[in-house]
Amino acid sequence: MSGQAESPGLPSGLRRAYVEALAPAAIAAPVPLYFTEGVSAKALALYELALLFLWWRARRGRPVRLPDLALNLAGLAYFLVLGFEVSVLRHGLLRCVSHLLLFTALAKLASIKSAGEARTALLVLFLLTLAAASSSTHVSSLLYFAAMALLAFQALARLAILADFEQAPPERVLRSVPTVAVSAAGIAGAAVLCVPLFYGLPRLKGPYAIAPFRLDDSFSTTLAADRVDLESFGAAKRSDRVVLRLTADAADWKRVVRLREAVFTEYRNGVWTRRPASVRQGPWVPPDRPPRGGREPVRIDLNLFAKGFLFLPYGVQTLHLAEGRSAYPLSDGLLQASPGRRTLAYEVGLGRPVPARGIGVSAIDPESVPREIREYAAKLVGEEKDPAAVYTRIQNHLRKDFVYTLDPPAARGDALVDFVLRSRAGHCEYFASAAAMMLAARGIPARLVTGSYGGEVGLFSRSIVVRGGNLHAWVEADLDGTGFGVLDPTPPGGLPPATSRGSFLRRLASLGREIEFFYDRRILGFEALDQQRIFEAAREQLSSAAQVASDWKGAWTAGAGAIKRWLGLLALAGALLILGREWRRRRQRLPPATKAYVAVRGLLARRIGFVSPSTPPAEIARRFGESLPEAGEDASAVVEVYCASAFGGREVDPGTERELFERVRRLRRLAS
Amino acid sequence: MTRLIPDWEIRITNFGLGYILMCLIVAIAATNTGNNGLYLMLAGMLASMTVSGVLSRRNVRGVSCEIEPIGEVVATRPALLRVRFRNHLRTGTAQALFFLHEGLPGPLWVDPLKPGERREIVVEGRFPRRGVVRLPDAGLLSRFPMGLFRKYRRASLPREIVVYPLPESSRVPETPPEDARGGRPHAFRRGGGFDIRTLRDFTPGDDPRDMHWKQSARMRRWIVREREAERDRAIVLSIDNALADPSDPAALEALEHAISRCAAQTLVLLSRGGEVGFQARGVSVFPQVGRPQSGRVLEALARLEAIPGDGAPPFPPLRRGDHRVTVT
Repeated sequence: MSGQAESPGLPSGLRRAYVEALAPAAIAAPVPLYFTEGVSAKALALYELALLFLWWRARRGRPVRLPDLALNLAGLAYFLVLGFEVSVLRHGLLRCVSHLLLFTALAKLASIKSAGEARTALLVLFLLTLAAASSSTHVSSLLYFAAMALLAFQALARLAILADFEQAPPERVLRSVPTVAVSAAGIAGAAVLCVPLFYGLPRLKGPYAIAPFRLDDSFSTTLAADRVDLESFGAAKRSDRVVLRLTADAADWKRVVRLREAVFTEYRNGVWTRRPASVRQGPWVPPDRPPRGGREPVRIDLNLFAKGFLFLPYGVQTLHLAEGRSAYPLSDGLLQASPGRRTLAYEVGLGRPVPARGIGVSAIDPESVPREIREYAAKLVGEEKDPAAVYTRIQNHLRKDFVYTLDPPAARGDALVDFVLRSRAGHCEYFASAAAMMLAARGIPARLVTGSYGGEVGLFSRSIVVRGGNLHAWVEADLDGTGFGVLDPTPPGGLPPATSRGSFLRRLASLGREIEFFYDRRILGFEALDQQRIFEAAREQLSSAAQVASDWKGAWTAGAGAIKRWLGLLALAGALLILGREWRRRRQRLPPATKAYVAVRGLLARRIGFVSPSTPPAEIARRFGESLPEAGEDASAVVEVYCASAFGGREVDPGTERELFERVRRLRRLAS
Repeated sequence: MTRLIPDWEIRITNFGLGYILMCLIVAIAATNTGNNGLYLMLAGMLASMTVSGVLSRRNVRGVSCEIEPIGEVVATRPALLRVRFRNHLRTGTAQALFFLHEGLPGPLWVDPLKPGERREIVVEGRFPRRGVVRLPDAGLLSRFPMGLFRKYRRASLPREIVVYPLPESSRVPETPPEDARGGRPHAFRRGGGFDIRTLRDFTPGDDPRDMHWKQSARMRRWIVREREAERDRAIVLSIDNALADPSDPAALEALEHAISRCAAQTLVLLSRGGEVGFQARGVSVFPQVGRPQSGRVLEALARLEAIPGDGAPPFPPLRRGDHRVTVT
């Protein structure tokens, strides 16, 4: 590298300024590509180091300037690298293109010879940003967008200044622009404008990435809803992924604390499955939206996992799904969302408070209960026949002699049998499964239910966020012949927190999740259907506003005719006043003699046609006299005063001014 | 040579065109892929363009620029100009401004102006030809904030700038002798000459030798003779600005030379204490002495324009004793 070589076109100081202006944005631009595997770590590290070196040299006043020969050789050599990358390393298109862009950006920044080349470097950086933005789906992309907005604003502002310099500007010039306040105002303004533009730009295709909750195996297994594995449930409960967000009146929080998702009645070797008879029965037509004025519906925003079962509170009376979506009813009051996007919004109407009862009649077949469990239950319950007393005995035993843990020891054989007979340690799924099995073994209709319990109250809203940690399992059993009531044998210490706000740090951490939820749902997964809903909502707002306006119009036409006329007159008078002031302001700019002379010129032009701007004043007077002999004297007098005033520096006294205007008025009369 | 001073107020730059092209490319990519990351970027780019326009407009329109010459301005000679900037914005610093003037070698950087700040600078400019400048070839240019547009705001003049012609040395006409034809001119002011201007009442301080005894006796009060000042013969320099073809470059150049020579002669004659006036067709500056008269004549010369020979007005008549010298 020949840092000392002077470029033929661009002074060294100016090249230094260009590098300094572009370097910060160049450093940040490709960073997300590393996380999306768009660039290799080595290539990125090499790029960043080289860039830091260029920046350092520029800041020291000795910007690097690669000679053209070196640049050409490097360009040719890169063809070999590219070929190697494509044929041997078999990198994808994004990675190959990104590497090429990194190389080009470096080459351009190391050899800026003119302002045009600096703009080319900017274009390459833009393409890098484009690649990074289009391939990133993580919520931190928002941070990247914000950072790049700031850096790009600074870089563009400085490049805009440098475009008018032919020599290196003083240090203070680039430092002073843009000011922090203007940068902040500009970025805030752009962010505000960006929102309607983003949601208003037309969508022709479905979203590129849909709600990318990165499902791990345990999560998908747990929420498969057709199949629940006892051993993987604990891992799912450790996850803090957002399952759903629920918005309800604070008065209803107690009623929505427990959300029912799936019912299980078949158990084999540690895995619960749904009864084969529970298949879809045809599309379900949702009832109308609950009437206005009643209780506020509960709004649920659900990330659909696996089979897409809806989480519903007990006591549901109405359900309204988002436009374009439908659900299939299954047995036991379950609903499965129609295939499509992996997000679903729905509203649930609750009736008056009644004891929670599970819908449906399916229950565990007592014959399917493992022999060990059956014997254990018989031993535990003894001769007790009353179902409620049987459950109380089972619950007390489980809570007293068993330990709640998310890390149960590895089971030998059947997980449930192992839990009851040997380990006696497990999580809610174990407790609920054991209770349900023992109840069934004693001839009491029972079943296992999975869903969620509790949640966190949102940071900025009255919504409750339900995460993986809130997933729960319990029992529905018919103890008194009135239906399947809710029984929860899990020890209190194992229950997820119900609608807790959490500590400050936890709330702070939940802010990130809220943002992630928003980014995934409202930005990354935004599609034409959502857009249609926004427009529909806006149209409704407009029509209600139009209704209000039409009511006002009726009142206006009914009895405000006189007021209308007066207001019209006032508006007209105001407009005339403003126009008059403006006219006077414009007229008063000229001194009186000049004003009179301009008027005479205008009159002459109107009379004879064109008057050249170069026509001298005396000529004006002469031509006026020729075209209108009786006005010649007045025109000459006006011109004389004008010449004395404009050329001779003579002040026009008020008397002369009055006389001038008299003459102009007379000329106007004569000319007309 | 490209013209430095633009005749527009807003113009999109090449970079701005490229930016719009990029917006189109991103829009096509976003629509075709459904990638919301691209939509976000496109929305950001469009929003930035709008914000850039608003900031740019505010930045340039919020600042006023006034130009006033310091002293006399002579064509082609360096002239000192006082340039006053004022940021009228209540909030927001006006920044990235360049002051343009035909007389300057290039754009002049103006340091950011804080809200309400006034700043005054003195620059040296040159005006290429004589004349009257009502709209200055100067103003403020900015590409702020993103270089998408160039916005220009013309400076204002509190008063017009009169650019005097550059004096061109030539033979200075001799003042005619007193006994030349035409007689001695009237001074039209009081003084100690021979000619009696009027008779009036005596006032203390009058010379007793001027007492008009006969009239005093007749009027029964003291009457004195008031004498007219002595006055040399005045020279009225004249230029024939009526040209057969006012668009003829050679004739116009000759006229410009005549004007320059006339300016030089005026200055020399006035510096010698002479009484000088100026006449052209339709223009007349009465002969007077002293420095103010040089300003009057030079201003008339600055404003002089060629007119068509057909129907051109005659030269104004001379006063008694004035001597006309036609400068060519």
